[in-house]
Amino acid sequence: MDHTIFLIDMQTFYASVEKMDFPGFRSKPLIVAGDPKQRSGIVLAACPIAKQFGVLTAEPLGQALNKCPQAIVRLPRMQHYINMSAAVTRFLQHYTHLVEPYSIDEQFMDVTSSLNLFGDPLTLAQKIQQDMQRRFGIYVRIGIGPNKALAKMACDHFSKKNQTGISLLNKRNMEKKLWALPIGALFGVGQRMEQHFIGMGIRKIGHLARFPVDLLRKRWGVNGELLWQTAHGLDASPVSPNTFIDQKAIGHHLTLPYDYTDQQAIRVILLELSEEVAARARSERYMGSVVSIGVSGPFEQHNGFHRQITLPYATNFGLDIYHAVHRLFNESWNRQPIRAAAVTLSDLQKSTETFQLDLFARIEEKARLSAAVDRIHCKYGRTALFRGASLLPASQLRVRAGKIGGHFR
Amino acid sequence: MQELQDSNPNAALAMKCTVQKDKLADAVNRVMKAISSKTTIPILTGVKITSGRDGITLTGSNSDISIQTFIPLEEDGNENAVVHTPGQIVLPSRLFSELVRKLQDEDVHIEVDSRFIAKITSGATEFSLNGLDPEEYPNLPIINGSDAFRIRKDLLKDMIKQTVYAVSVTETRPVLTGVKWMINDGKLSCVATDSHRLAQRSVSVENGEDSGTHTLVIPGSSLNELSKILDDDDEQLVDIIMTTNQILFKSNNVQFYSRLLDGNYPDTSRLIPTESKTTIDLGTKDLYRAIERASLLAKEERNNVVKLRAEGNQVEISSQSLELGRVFETLVPEHFEGDPLRISFSAKFMMDALGKLDAQSVRIHFVGPMRPIIIRPIGDENILMLILPIRTF
Repeated sequence: MDHTIFLIDMQTFYASVEKMDFPGFRSKPLIVAGDPKQRSGIVLAACPIAKQFGVLTAEPLGQALNKCPQAIVRLPRMQHYINMSAAVTRFLQHYTHLVEPYSIDEQFMDVTSSLNLFGDPLTLAQKIQQDMQRRFGIYVRIGIGPNKALAKMACDHFSKKNQTGISLLNKRNMEKKLWALPIGALFGVGQRMEQHFIGMGIRKIGHLARFPVDLLRKRWGVNGELLWQTAHGLDASPVSPNTFIDQKAIGHHLTLPYDYTDQQAIRVILLELSEEVAARARSERYMGSVVSIGVSGPFEQHNGFHRQITLPYATNFGLDIYHAVHRLFNESWNRQPIRAAAVTLSDLQKSTETFQLDLFARIEEKARLSAAVDRIHCKYGRTALFRGASLLPASQLRVRAGKIGGHFR
Repeated sequence: MQELQDSNPNAALAMKCTVQKDKLADAVNRVMKAISSKTTIPILTGVKITSGRDGITLTGSNSDISIQTFIPLEEDGNENAVVHTPGQIVLPSRLFSELVRKLQDEDVHIEVDSRFIAKITSGATEFSLNGLDPEEYPNLPIINGSDAFRIRKDLLKDMIKQTVYAVSVTETRPVLTGVKWMINDGKLSCVATDSHRLAQRSVSVENGEDSGTHTLVIPGSSLNELSKILDDDDEQLVDIIMTTNQILFKSNNVQFYSRLLDGNYPDTSRLIPTESKTTIDLGTKDLYRAIERASLLAKEERNNVVKLRAEGNQVEISSQSLELGRVFETLVPEHFEGDPLRISFSAKFMMDALGKLDAQSVRIHFVGPMRPIIIRPIGDENILMLILPIRTF
């Protein structure tokens, strides 16, 4: 049976939320931007009015204000946006139980069975569009397709550009509409892959669709075949509401306020990231046995690295993660300045699952210590108890305690 | 070829010898265990051949282990080799070992000139190999034999087999990739652990004059190789000489050198429980096979978990895979003492441990579901295998 999948995209989500909360700004240009004093001082979202002045997402705030000096600038409220996104998910569950949050402002819906109640796909899409406007004051664009890949591409390449904000891609119109698009527009093709394809003479999605799949499989393995299938409008992945419940990895990334060159300073933030990852793993009841570190240099230099190591046991204890991270860092760091760092714990298992005991890991002691620290953090906040190294000037602990995703809570 | 070489008056004879093919093939085969094709020092891909007054010595090495085999001119009244001109050469090891094995005649003649070209003739076959300058071959460690002891070859092999399986295969704690040897008062104790299980064995050895305590950590991989090159002449003694960073094993015509691991080996004695709340005696093979059957399902899941329930003079082994199904099996222990118990552990670890024991029956001690399991062969107090359980909820 053919499915009907929607991708709901919320236009300028952060800006829309701000306008909904403060109706007085509704008719004014509005920009949500990070702290101008820090590196996060970039435009996170600009409302359609601001965009008419030429304001671009991700440009420095100063540059945006040159174009549109009268714009209202709001600091981000990340926790609020996350709550709103979750509220939208709950609202969309009125139409179907199969809602999968894809990003903070995008959600997949499998409405196949709901069409019995609501009529044809277009009618339902229009209803959702109106309901979302009325309930949240957010304008949504909707891509419709027989699977997630086509719905997503319908939304990105057609709904965002037409008057109604609704478009449909399916087997019938695919060759005409999808195949004419440049190869970079294909779901799953990143910048590097785009360059590879162009180098092979594959400039449009249609070129890829007509390319012999054997050769793609030979060169890129499963991924080559997968992209070929996507080009043919094939995608077997279901809308799974629990995508974010069964996690694959827990990681934190930190862009530093200035480039760190001192090993001690870098170690401080690696320790803080490790503790943060461990705390989140515990709060979600996971343990992991693969620890990875990613480090990147200043913008203009590509001298970062990414390394991982498998521990002999699964852990959610901060120092276990830090020791592994520290070792990987020492092995690979070339003494170049560091602009950003990330620590990730993967190969996760539920901490309530079985696990192999270890002679030297002192798992029980660590679990008791972590539990005590977590209770203190829960009651008095993350800054109430921390490791001594976080008193050094390099520490980002207190700055980060007030932020989500690097922006204000 | 012959003319070419003879016509070059500058190429003086550097080495000439004749050796029995079987002896040579056997000796090359052993040193090959130390030679790796992946090495940062190119000359170590070769085998060094030294002809001396008493016989012919072959040397192979990677930076971790070195093996030297000696072919005496005469052994048990048989002539093994004749050295016409003493000298040395380094030859490409893989090629040399293969060609020696494939030669037809019983005798192999090796003739090396000063340009390091080796002419190897046997019957009607003649190989000319380009060798390397033996002066560039690194010297083997010099080991003075003050800290030494002797052990029977079969005992040494058993000890290696019963401990080395438990070393860590990950480099997270490098020292755990080795086996700790402690020699004290005529007793050698070996311990290996990967932090999930532990194996321990001790034997009496013939000490040298020095009676102090020596502790060293030998890489597990070295011991595995050593075990492979020791022949089955079990009654013989192996001489073992220790220094601070090297160990040398000498057994008739073979010398095996290994580097030692740095770092402090953790104190494992305090990890071994002395009390026992439940004690069960079981036939080694019966238990092994029951675990093996249970592991058919267990190995499909994380941690390879097998459950053991001991109650009412009966032991139940069970395992399940959520997707595939479950298995139960009951065993009647030869002896049962203490509290009823339920415990989970890795099938692989249990099979590894049981598989290394020769005894008919084993005695297993349990302290609790979260405490180490101790397995000892009945009738030998010198062997101990420890497995940490798997925590289940």
